[in-house]
Amino acid sequence: MKKEILHYFRERFGIPPSCFQTFSLYAASRGRIYVGPETTIPRPEPVSVGILAARTGNAIKPTTAILQLLGRHATRNIVRISRKDAEKFAGGQDLKAGETEATEGYVLVSYQDTPLGCGFLKGGTVRSMIPKAKRLQLKFL
Amino acid sequence: MSTMVTGIPKVFRQRYASLVDDPEAFFSCLGSMQPRSFRVNTLKSGRKHVVERFEGYGFEIKQVPWYRDAFVSAEPDVGSTLEHFTGEIYMQELVSMLPPVVLRKDLMKAKNVLDGCAAPGSKATQMAAIMGNMGLIVANDVSYSRIKALKFNQEKTGAANMVITNLDLRNFPQHNFDIVLLDAPCSAEGTIRKSCGISEMWSERHIKKLSSLQKQLIVKAFDLMSPGGLMVYSTCTFAPEENESVVNHLVEKRPARLEEIDVPGFRLSDPLQEWRGETFSEKIKNCIRVWPHHNNTGGFFMARVGK
Repeated sequence: MKKEILHYFRERFGIPPSCFQTFSLYAASRGRIYVGPETTIPRPEPVSVGILAARTGNAIKPTTAILQLLGRHATRNIVRISRKDAEKFAGGQDLKAGETEATEGYVLVSYQDTPLGCGFLKGGTVRSMIPKAKRLQLKFL
Repeated sequence: MSTMVTGIPKVFRQRYASLVDDPEAFFSCLGSMQPRSFRVNTLKSGRKHVVERFEGYGFEIKQVPWYRDAFVSAEPDVGSTLEHFTGEIYMQELVSMLPPVVLRKDLMKAKNVLDGCAAPGSKATQMAAIMGNMGLIVANDVSYSRIKALKFNQEKTGAANMVITNLDLRNFPQHNFDIVLLDAPCSAEGTIRKSCGISEMWSERHIKKLSSLQKQLIVKAFDLMSPGGLMVYSTCTFAPEENESVVNHLVEKRPARLEEIDVPGFRLSDPLQEWRGETFSEKIKNCIRVWPHHNNTGGFFMARVGK
């Protein structure tokens, strides 16, 4: 699984495996993959290890948390958006993709080189994958 | 959650009027609003970038002299910025940043760190930033409901070197941590300015109850340190029963070494040597107090303990 996840981030976003070098990947229930410290403690059993990086199933779905952390290393499948659209995206609204080189699937949505999080591009629309609890009505950007 | 009582009870005034250098300034400060503060999360951004962005928004922000990643601002909308959304900044009270600051050099070398009472994770995520996401931080909290906030802040700040455990620290299995932070549950008198009042639960009886718990926690935290390890014990309260008395209990029970604390550019005050008939060990003089009116912050207490 580790190889598959590293391969996915490299192929889909151009994020090199070296970005994960100081971490370990941990598989949890329901196909969740966490990026965490290289070593952990055996007891007490942690309730969570590191940050949720992806969910696996039919396809790999990256999380906003990992794309915000490592997105600056991404080189492809990035949808760069305007200020107005960044406000919408942070608030959880869908966007029109406009002209983009990104292919359909999960994309990194970025505003002025700042990675905002994960979107899903299909049929010219970017769906905001920002979790509800993390959405924010931005006033300054 | 406890409700707040506006104003300061008479018994509270009586307790502290004799301890503080300038009671008038102290009580007046407690009744005033505290400036908002935040730190730049160096796991995601840099000071220069954030300062440029905030200047672009027309915000007046001021870097504090004692911690280059920390800023204060009177601007009410810091929480509505892009940088807050992305986790490039983290809203945190200035005094809450002190424990990781006094451990900074040690954290850079540490392989494993325990934050014994970690939720909501302000200090644990700050330590992760200082460690550059390397090594291991075990962020423990007894309250399962508060762990949700801890997890949220961990994800938001990108503190990937952290694992979360949910245990009463007193029952934590034996480990040898390089660094232990014990920011103990306390009566939170030092947060009066932030919460615009004192907790309804506040009473001298409640303080005594907390003191008893803190004494158990500090001995356990000491036992979880490796030989040569370090611990910071901190509270955000003024009550000597929860501060000097707790550290005094530790030095009576364990061969603890109290180290000097210095934060250049920040005014620290001496601890008490006695309180209501209890005389504290000479070692206690290395603990520090932070009075709100000295630095325009909340109140705080810290001890840096070596093993």
